[in-house]
Amino acid sequence: MRTSSWRSMLRSPLVVIVALVTVWFIATFLIFPNATLLIGTFFPDGQLSFRAFEKLASSERAMNSLWHSFLLAGTLAVTVNVVGIFIVLVTDYFAIRGARVLWLGYATTLIYGGIVLAAGYNFIYGRYGFVTNAVGNWFPDIDRDWFSGYFAVVVVMTLATTTNHMLFLGSSLAKIDYQTIEAARNMGAGTLRILWRIVLPALRPMIFAVTVLTFLTGLGALTAPIVLGGTDFQTIAPMILTFSKSSSSQDLAALLAIILGLATIVLLAMMNRAEKSGVYFSVAKVATPLQKQKIPNQVTNGVVHVLAYALFVVYATPVLLIVLFSFLDSTAILRGMITWDALTLDNYATVFGTPSVLRPFVVSVVYSALASAIVVIGMLFVARVLQKYRNPVTGLLEYLLHIPWILPTILIALALVMTFDRPQALVGGQVLTGTTSLLLVAYIIVKIPFTLRLLKAAFASVPESLEDAARILGAGSMFTLRKVLFPLVIPTAAAITALNFNSLLDDYDAAVFLYHPLYQPLGIAIKASTEGENNLDSMSITFVYTVLLMIIMGLAMYLVYGRSGAATRRARRRASRG
Amino acid sequence: MHKRTITASSFALVLLSTVILTSCSAATDTAASGEATGTLIVYTNSNSDGRGEWITEQADAAGLNIEIVGLGGADLANRIVAEKNNPVGDVVFGLNNMFFETLKAEEAVSAYTPAWSSEVDSTAGDAADGAFWPLVEQAIVTVYDTNTVSAADAPTEIADLWDGDQYTGNYEVNIALGQATPQLVLAGLLAPYADEDGDLGISDDGWDQVQAYFEHGSPAVEGTDLYARLTRGEVDFGVIPSSGITSRDAEYGTVTGVISPEDGVPYVTEQIAVINGTPRQDQAEEFIDWFGSSAVQGQFAAEFAAYPVNTEARSQALPAVVELIESLPKQDIDWALTREHIGEWVEKTELEYLP
Repeated sequence: MRTSSWRSMLRSPLVVIVALVTVWFIATFLIFPNATLLIGTFFPDGQLSFRAFEKLASSERAMNSLWHSFLLAGTLAVTVNVVGIFIVLVTDYFAIRGARVLWLGYATTLIYGGIVLAAGYNFIYGRYGFVTNAVGNWFPDIDRDWFSGYFAVVVVMTLATTTNHMLFLGSSLAKIDYQTIEAARNMGAGTLRILWRIVLPALRPMIFAVTVLTFLTGLGALTAPIVLGGTDFQTIAPMILTFSKSSSSQDLAALLAIILGLATIVLLAMMNRAEKSGVYFSVAKVATPLQKQKIPNQVTNGVVHVLAYALFVVYATPVLLIVLFSFLDSTAILRGMITWDALTLDNYATVFGTPSVLRPFVVSVVYSALASAIVVIGMLFVARVLQKYRNPVTGLLEYLLHIPWILPTILIALALVMTFDRPQALVGGQVLTGTTSLLLVAYIIVKIPFTLRLLKAAFASVPESLEDAARILGAGSMFTLRKVLFPLVIPTAAAITALNFNSLLDDYDAAVFLYHPLYQPLGIAIKASTEGENNLDSMSITFVYTVLLMIIMGLAMYLVYGRSGAATRRARRRASRG
Repeated sequence: MHKRTITASSFALVLLSTVILTSCSAATDTAASGEATGTLIVYTNSNSDGRGEWITEQADAAGLNIEIVGLGGADLANRIVAEKNNPVGDVVFGLNNMFFETLKAEEAVSAYTPAWSSEVDSTAGDAADGAFWPLVEQAIVTVYDTNTVSAADAPTEIADLWDGDQYTGNYEVNIALGQATPQLVLAGLLAPYADEDGDLGISDDGWDQVQAYFEHGSPAVEGTDLYARLTRGEVDFGVIPSSGITSRDAEYGTVTGVISPEDGVPYVTEQIAVINGTPRQDQAEEFIDWFGSSAVQGQFAAEFAAYPVNTEARSQALPAVVELIESLPKQDIDWALTREHIGEWVEKTELEYLP
């Protein structure tokens, strides 16, 4: 039974402790530093300054960029759902030949992103890309800039952000009660009807959650528009980045970021409402694993196969190219001419020739692992409490935990440095600036909203009857949590941990202000090795680091999926044999 | 109380203490916690291309134990200002005079007169207060490849590029105004138009120049070097710091020509200073005396094609570098005015003039 009763909430010591820790954390690390920074920004002389509003409103460029960001976010919310649901269905729901190979192809977005991904697509389809060159040989009159602007940005970002669908929608799908599908079939429902009336509705909480994430990604789009947007389609994120680095323009950066953040929060509120209004029983109560569905219509079946494999090629090519590019010298890449002579191991020699090249890897792996583990464990409790006890206070806490979405990472980092550069009572009178812990705190902070969003969605799909049953059988709240609820959300939690880990590995924005001089993280090391006026191989070196990162991230994903995936497959095989 | 609820609360307690411990424990292992000994933390934006490793090695040989922290110019300056109440770094070098003016205004660096102060032109640094001292000079130049554009076809004044349509879309403009070089280009563009009554200290004519400059230019492509664009014929002109020319000519097979306007080109001078409030003041001064000395600067110049401000070190600089720098007149830029307004200039340009 969901309850908003205060008394039952305060009766559980577990809930009280979780609430206290959460409140302390929010006050100390989310509200206090950011409020100090924002007050200093918007009330420069103790009075509210409308300078930022006026400046932005009178700038045609800012307004255009802002509009583009919203347009992109809105478009992606649709296109990513279409592509994302399609790839989840062809890998996990329909019986498609070679589904596991397809999964691997689609999963490539798990292990790379950012500038490398945008550059990868640009090297294929851009002005000097292979496809453009090849087509140009046949049809010399084509517009060589065909792959740029809104269209190109949408295509690349759609393909690049299906990660969340693959992981979280995929795991929700696996939990669908297969007997409902069989029952529907027995009653004569067709494939499409089952999909539309049974499968998709059961996935709704997760679809809502990933839609919010997609929207946020679209709003914050940085590298894809820079590389592919051309002059016609620039978004607001590059402007926020420039402004947040200049002390006299930080109010503009903060205001723009707040506009984007609030838009996300509004969407989040709408999704929360929609989520509350529905009732979801998506978890199978009986261990009948989902069986893959055959598409009965031959033509449809063929079309789906062709589409699935076409997508596979589009997904996999940039990754293969990046691996290839890491063995080429920069001039060959930039000129778009690849010959056997240009193949070289020099880039790897440069990277591994740097003294203590491994140290940043170790530092970043430790930081990322610690941060992603702490944030997931913490949010497991928080999400559970927020999910179970719904009252104005928990509602407020939930929204406060989304503060990191409202501000750019750079400003959050700056606020932390400036707040904790003196003894603060909230952290026991410690000075945190200049210590190794502040970067960890920042990493935890920036990963809270994402983690909370998805864990809450995961808890939402757990039927209450399971919990009731546990209680009737005499289990305490911690025991229920540990033995009944956690196992059901652990796949999602593991996926979140891996994703958080991967995304923190090469972080630059938080580290730049917070890293301890003796513990240089990877993002800083990469930047240092790719910068420099005479460093002409920066792109190749970026590719080398990307390949190394892909290996680490691939390992992380294997630890999460390789083994549990194998278990699922075994279960499926057993089921299909039986 | 139930046994199980005790387990529950103890588990949560463990969690609580983990969070608190991780956020507090590391305070003890900081290198910046007021010890007067230990590794000297050197902040710089000039550690790339192997400079950082070279300096660390040389310093080690001279008996100085340093750790280089390398970040981009704007990021580094922001970090030093943000940390000024509890400095993590001890010395900073490599930032240009514009950034150092900011650090001085924020009281993030403290004055120290190095042993080699008489060997440098003090006006290249902070002549008034001696808060920072010059090391290396660079020109910000507009270049072209003489293989494709003959010197006769190249404009003599940079403004010719956007005056009229002859070169429209044919020169690269860097729109990443958060970085140092594009800011210096902007400062150079606006310098002749200083006007107390104008918007942000610049006359309307000056802003028209900025508008025309960006309107007629071809925006830089993220991840694509200017010289790659020059060689594949996308653009014919672009801006780079002078120290980048030699290596690019070797890599791309170009023969670089430089536009040398009558009024000169913007010069930047990289500086060095002690970070205000460092517990390792003595070591910091020792490092500055060592690094700025004519011997070390001379070796540095020979190794990295730099043009040292230290007159006694100049003889060791590469002849090609000396020849190029001495052929380019220095543009007269009011750095105090620039420092005061550069943030606002960047903001105005970003909001109104970028493509």
